[in-house]
Amino acid sequence: MMEEFSEELEPLFDYRRVQPLNVVYLDDDDLDAPSASPPKRRKISDSAVEKVDATVKAVNVIDCGDKEEEDWLPPPPKVSLDAKLRGEDSTLRELRLKKQELASLAQSAENVMRAVEESVKRELSDSLEAVAEKPSKPRCERNKIVLSIQDKDGAKQFRIYVDDKFERLFKMYADKAKLDLKSLVFCFDGDKIGPAATPDALGMEDNDIIEVHVTSS
Amino acid sequence: MSGGIARGRLAEERKAWRKNHPHGFVAKPETGPDGAIDLMIWQCIIPGKSSTDWEGGYFPLTLHFSEDYPSKPPKCKFPQGFFHPNVYPSGTVCLSILNEDSGWRPAITVKQILVGIQDLLDQPNPADPAQTDGYQLFIQEPAEYKRRVRQQAKQYPPVL
Repeated sequence: MMEEFSEELEPLFDYRRVQPLNVVYLDDDDLDAPSASPPKRRKISDSAVEKVDATVKAVNVIDCGDKEEEDWLPPPPKVSLDAKLRGEDSTLRELRLKKQELASLAQSAENVMRAVEESVKRELSDSLEAVAEKPSKPRCERNKIVLSIQDKDGAKQFRIYVDDKFERLFKMYADKAKLDLKSLVFCFDGDKIGPAATPDALGMEDNDIIEVHVTSS
Repeated sequence: MSGGIARGRLAEERKAWRKNHPHGFVAKPETGPDGAIDLMIWQCIIPGKSSTDWEGGYFPLTLHFSEDYPSKPPKCKFPQGFFHPNVYPSGTVCLSILNEDSGWRPAITVKQILVGIQDLLDQPNPADPAQTDGYQLFIQEPAEYKRRVRQQAKQYPPVL
């Protein structure tokens, strides 16, 4: 949806940001193509096309931001259309301009609506999830706690249940560190932590540090 | 009311310490025989730095906070007779950041105090001696000073 929209609008921007001279050539060229335009012009328009492509890319990225303000407000380029509609009745031309303007306005409005709808939906479902999660947690889930195990070189974080015995965490740590569990001493506040203790029993809070010491024996 | 400020700050210090402190250090408020926690007195352990003569020692230090903390620094005490040029015979540490009239600032944390004292162990300040024994050996008999430091480190093995 977004893509179609910006594609439609491309001409609006191309012409505004490219030197007016080249723009005129480009359009002239399109019209003149069947009737074999002079080679001199061809060359100029080729380079113009490249330039336009480059600017189109840059412009598209910027445009995605504020649709409503930027996209449709600037009036359609007079230059290109003048060239295209040369000879046409001025009222007809004006009507066509108006129609284009209205069409892009409608589309951008539609787009904005869709974006709003989507964001509301997202927010709603997020908050619904949050609401659904909160009450269920204390009932059917055991609380978890994040603890750091710190050795001489730094800390690693672990997440365990507050009522889980430490022996499980210690074994996990020893396995991960490839150390013999028997050679490790874990302490909290300077006291050794027994394998049967739990974070709850020691009054631990999130991000508290457990120190690990490797004994030489 | 100032006591409220001191206790509030110490509760924060306690929280921060539990989540972040250097390896081997211990710092916790004293627990009375009835299990009540006294935030104004902290029992700490300062490990001797590795690759110094202090390595292997885990030196007990007590921090005594007053009701005027953090306007005033805590008094930091090693055990009586602790061997170090800048420790008074009573065990009180003499360090600029712990001096209300010189280096103390209320923003200095417990962690900074303990790390500062660990630094002081291996880098005594001969300009500010606090005991004769440690000071004279440090100045006049470096070899004997070294021996005494190593001997003292052995007196305070890890408590685990």
